Amino acid sequence: MNKTFAVIRREYVERVRTKAFLISTILLPVFMLAMAVLPALIMSGGDRTSRVAVVDASGSHLGQPVAAALKAATFGRGGQAKPRYDVSVFPAEAANLAQVRDGLIARTGFARDKRKDGWDGVLVLDAGTLASGKLAYYGDNVSSLEGMNRLQRDISKALAGVRLAQSGVDQKLVDKAMEPADMDTTKVTEGKRTGQSGAASFAIAYAMGFLLYLAILIYGQQTMTSVIEEKTSRIMEVLTSALTPFQMLLGKVLGVGLAGLTQMGIWVGTAFVLGSQGPNLAGAFGMGAGAADKFAIPGVPASVLLVFLLYFAMGFLLYGALYAAIGAMCNSIQETQQYAVFVTMPIIVGFMAVFALIKDPSGPLGTIMSFIPFFAPFTMPVRWSMTAVPPVQLALSLALMVLGLLACVWLAGRIYRTGILMYGKKPTWGELWRWIRA
Amino acid sequence: MSTPSVSVEAVTKRFAGHTAVSRLSLQVPSGGIYGLLGPNGAGKSTAIRLVMGILEPDEGRIALFGAERNSRRLSARIGYLPEERGLYKKMKVLDHLVFLGETRGISRKDAAQRAQAWLARLEIADWAQKKVEDLSKGMQQKVQFAGALLHEPELVILDEPFSGLDPINAQVMKDIVVEIARSGRTVLLSTHVMEQAERMCDRVAIIARGQLVANGTVAQVKADFGGRHVALGFAGGRERADAILADPRLIARVDDYGASAELKLAAGVEPDKLLAALVQAGVGLRRFEVVEPSLQAIFVAKVGADPALASLPAGAAA
Repeated sequence: MNKTFAVIRREYVERVRTKAFLISTILLPVFMLAMAVLPALIMSGGDRTSRVAVVDASGSHLGQPVAAALKAATFGRGGQAKPRYDVSVFPAEAANLAQVRDGLIARTGFARDKRKDGWDGVLVLDAGTLASGKLAYYGDNVSSLEGMNRLQRDISKALAGVRLAQSGVDQKLVDKAMEPADMDTTKVTEGKRTGQSGAASFAIAYAMGFLLYLAILIYGQQTMTSVIEEKTSRIMEVLTSALTPFQMLLGKVLGVGLAGLTQMGIWVGTAFVLGSQGPNLAGAFGMGAGAADKFAIPGVPASVLLVFLLYFAMGFLLYGALYAAIGAMCNSIQETQQYAVFVTMPIIVGFMAVFALIKDPSGPLGTIMSFIPFFAPFTMPVRWSMTAVPPVQLALSLALMVLGLLACVWLAGRIYRTGILMYGKKPTWGELWRWIRA
Repeated sequence: MSTPSVSVEAVTKRFAGHTAVSRLSLQVPSGGIYGLLGPNGAGKSTAIRLVMGILEPDEGRIALFGAERNSRRLSARIGYLPEERGLYKKMKVLDHLVFLGETRGISRKDAAQRAQAWLARLEIADWAQKKVEDLSKGMQQKVQFAGALLHEPELVILDEPFSGLDPINAQVMKDIVVEIARSGRTVLLSTHVMEQAERMCDRVAIIARGQLVANGTVAQVKADFGGRHVALGFAGGRERADAILADPRLIARVDDYGASAELKLAAGVEPDKLLAALVQAGVGLRRFEVVEPSLQAIFVAKVGADPALASLPAGAAA
């Protein structure tokens, strides 16, 4: 047992001491934060007033109310509000519609600094627009789903207003009626409000899935490369003369796993502190409480944390042992590719399942996958964070997980003890089978 | 006689395509230096790996300290330096030695103390906090050597311990090996350098192609080889000696080094007859000495005489 501890300590200390460990510990949260903040930044970069030309060939001056509705649309609200569109109306007849339209289109889609009088989009209203709602938009931003949705909504609002006004409804009443809905979402678990918004719950589930995937993949492969290193540096022979293969395998997987757990602990702990102390910290850094809201890291319930760490530990042991076995079978990193895919694939499938789960955490797919030991480490923590998983299901999942873990470690141990001293050619599947049975 | 440290009985090990060790029997008595000699590819390393329990024999049995071997359970009593040297390159030297000590069952504290002492003895104490990869090959080998001896094993198994060392370091290690043997412990070492084995070993086993060719104390092996042997050193007129050395009536075997030669006299030939012939031919002699046959000569004679042993398969594992 002391010998196994020596191996664990060596694996752990040598890993945690490296610069790579320090750098990845710091960089990954930075990367994840960037992933969270960048879209927001990009979107706010999109908070640019777009110049829209409205060609009005409706014959009923439909251009005026549409332009008014577009002008009223803003980014943000209150004092910081900024107009979404800079609108100009170009009256046209059915006869010269094409000419006016094409003339405007010719000035559309240039970078702002290239052509100051250029348009971002041309909106064409014809005689049928009011009745049918059909109209055309030509612009450089048509691939922006959100932008188009927004534009269509703003135009719909204008059309509805005009149609109501034409039916004799008072304009003020129309404006009131058009006030949009603004929904706040809150997650409820077992009759209790969790205090998480829907977005926060999603963020936690997504972040957990991503962390599990990354950590199991990265640290699993580290056990593989470290076995290969021991083989190529030939220290294996000294080790095997003093340690049993099982001591070596166990020590290695536990040591590497603890290093992973340490890193994970640092990340999750930091997130926990930021989540619970976010507003105070923001205050300390001289930011308003509003700023903290913007970058809020949602608070993580302790039970979620526990399930997460439990499944990470077991998932890592399972995959780490399998990766170590593959390392033992091969003589170089290049050689491992052929076999590693059999271990990497389930990890990727498990990770992908997280996305499906986020939509329907209690569906049959999610439930079944959280019972399969290869996928449970990814799916169960995500389900647990998103919905109330019946305790029976958790117990069954854990039991199956332990069984699967033992089976995989046994299998890996059989391969490992023969493989570590095999140099030269890779084993065939038949030979591998003999190693396992031997 | 006390229980032998290592007992190998009729052990055979086959690899795909060839037999690396064939019905090999050895007894390494407790105490002293036992040399396992043989050319490259003779099966020395395979034999050592079998003894270490790294390989399992196909036939025969191996006992260590008189007990059916499971060398891992006995690892605290055995020190092992494999032929293929290997250390964790990124580890610091001292940490590495402590780790090796721990895997052999000594405490961290003891391991650290002993490691310091060994590093000082091997004159690499300044490197204790350096990474292994920053050390020269020779220094790395010293570290591994220390790692094999750290736990003061009663049986030390060294596979080609002096290969790749410069003469000064080889001397340092040789002194240590001798010291271990003097302290009553057992050293089993393999080498293909016969002069070295001859000077160090109490007992030797010569193997070729996985088979035992000669075995016993160095004196025994020499006596068994028989014949009378003469060492010659030439001063001048070397070419005039050629005809004499080639004369089968005088000489049974020649081991020719150019400036010197080792001869086995033909049966019934007295050394002075050879001396007379050489003087008469005008060969300048620096040395003429009746000697015991060198292990080298025995080895070449034994292995070279048997075509089956001499023609080693190319690339056969050592």
